[in-house]
Amino acid sequence: MTDARIPLPLLAVVLALLVVIVAPLAVPVAMSISDTPYIAFPPEGFTLEWYVNVLTDPEAQAALVVSLKLALASTLAALALGIPCAMALVRLRFPGRGAVLALVLGPLVVPLIVTGVGLLQFFSLLGLRGAFLQLWIGHTVVCLPYVVRSVSGALTTADPTQEDAARVLGAGPVQVFLRVIWPQIRHGVAAAAIFAFIISFDDFAISMWLSDARNFPLPLYLYAAIQRFFDPSIAALSALMVFFALGLVLLLEKGLGIGVRRIAG
Amino acid sequence: MTRRTLSPALLGWLLAAPAVLFLLGGFVLPAAQTLFLGFNAKTEAGVMQYGLTLDNYRRAFANDLYWRVLLRTVRLAASAAFVAMIVGYPLAWAVARGQAWLSRTVTLVLVAPLLVNVVVRSYGWSAILSRSGLIAWAAIGLGVASADEPPALLYTEWAVLIASVHVFLPFMVLPLAGALSRIPPAVEQAAMVAGASPFRVFLRVTLPLSLPGLAVGLPLVFSLTAAAYVTPQILGGNFSPLLGTLIEQQVLTLHDWPFGAALSTLLVVMVLLVNLLFIGVLARRLRGWTTGPA
Repeated sequence: MTDARIPLPLLAVVLALLVVIVAPLAVPVAMSISDTPYIAFPPEGFTLEWYVNVLTDPEAQAALVVSLKLALASTLAALALGIPCAMALVRLRFPGRGAVLALVLGPLVVPLIVTGVGLLQFFSLLGLRGAFLQLWIGHTVVCLPYVVRSVSGALTTADPTQEDAARVLGAGPVQVFLRVIWPQIRHGVAAAAIFAFIISFDDFAISMWLSDARNFPLPLYLYAAIQRFFDPSIAALSALMVFFALGLVLLLEKGLGIGVRRIAG
Repeated sequence: MTRRTLSPALLGWLLAAPAVLFLLGGFVLPAAQTLFLGFNAKTEAGVMQYGLTLDNYRRAFANDLYWRVLLRTVRLAASAAFVAMIVGYPLAWAVARGQAWLSRTVTLVLVAPLLVNVVVRSYGWSAILSRSGLIAWAAIGLGVASADEPPALLYTEWAVLIASVHVFLPFMVLPLAGALSRIPPAVEQAAMVAGASPFRVFLRVTLPLSLPGLAVGLPLVFSLTAAAYVTPQILGGNFSPLLGTLIEQQVLTLHDWPFGAALSTLLVVMVLLVNLLFIGVLARRLRGWTTGPA
């Protein structure tokens, strides 16, 4: 059978498209080692100076620290809220379950920029101060649906009769969770944590409304830097972020056996 | 069974309660407040005045400048969805029906841009599309363009369109690949045996059966493009703003929160309408097939 083959012209089209898809990720990498103090194609010479520049820049370092703290805090909060919620949604039939599901997936439907502006106006109305707290709440709202979806997926494939068996044999709810459910869903939870971390670390549309000068996440820093600097430091920072993303893909695919396609849907 | 103290209903609510309460406060109330503000206040001469009003919406549709931003946003989002469909079809085909290595490679390459920050991606495109970028360099090298007048796509709607299709392509390709792989091979073989040319098989059998995938992908790409902020900002320049830019300007620069709230509401309504439209059309088409030819 030659079923799993596609015609040669189609293959050529597909490969050409793949090159175009990779190009905007590869070009910053090529530019980042260029010897010229401005950005132009083709890159000339070789230097790692721009990487040193960017890595020793105090503003970039501060932005990175804010982003890491924010991503970690939001991931933990989303897991703490999302895992019990997923348990309820998958394992229990309770009145209003459909409404809870709709509410939890709601942030995926509303454009992020609108969620962000809504939070800005709401926080101002409440008089809630503290940019980090505001950012933390906003990022957790956006991460939560991914956690619930990923953990629910893992729970659906776990076998509920094992939980019943453990219960019949006298295990309490905490024991059932730790010894029976957790081993079956921990890969799903790990995937959820990585998704949530990426969503927060990459977020722009929420942060642009809520950040202040002291809490200025990395994507916002990069955006501001693009408009201020024209040397390849920006390309170096971009390249570092591309490498970081590639590392995460490998971690998901090889380390956890989770297809990256799950991120898109 | 003395240990069973909680009913499933109560336990369910207890487990879901933290997430529900958090989202009520961090998502539902803010959204409701934004919706409300657009109808309940307006800014006149820099001062916010409360009171029920439709002025914000009147302004969005009556003022030529804002009306054009709305139209441009719809046009660009619709074009991105259309182009993503054309470009996405061969890719989805490769994912669903290609050799194993090809399917894996295409999926990985498609999803990679999603993991790269939107600012980096837009920056990469600007390095390709600018006057000193890859395309200009190649065009001059090939003798298509002169070095005195290098061609540039940067700061045009084309640049925004290209970059939007680039990043949102997986949201088109993966549902489409799913739909394609669900088509039983026997259906196509039957059409072939009955004498249909490969092109006719595609047009009359494969394409209609892949519509569920398109019905997911098209509104997704439309919604994501319409709501984008960074990509149009970096690649489109300040000359032709989209709705996202307009909302940002009104709220952060001009401090006209009621108008910003009204524009946000319009964006949500636009996205919801397109999604409902596709769900409706799809439901009708599918009903048509199951009950025979219309």
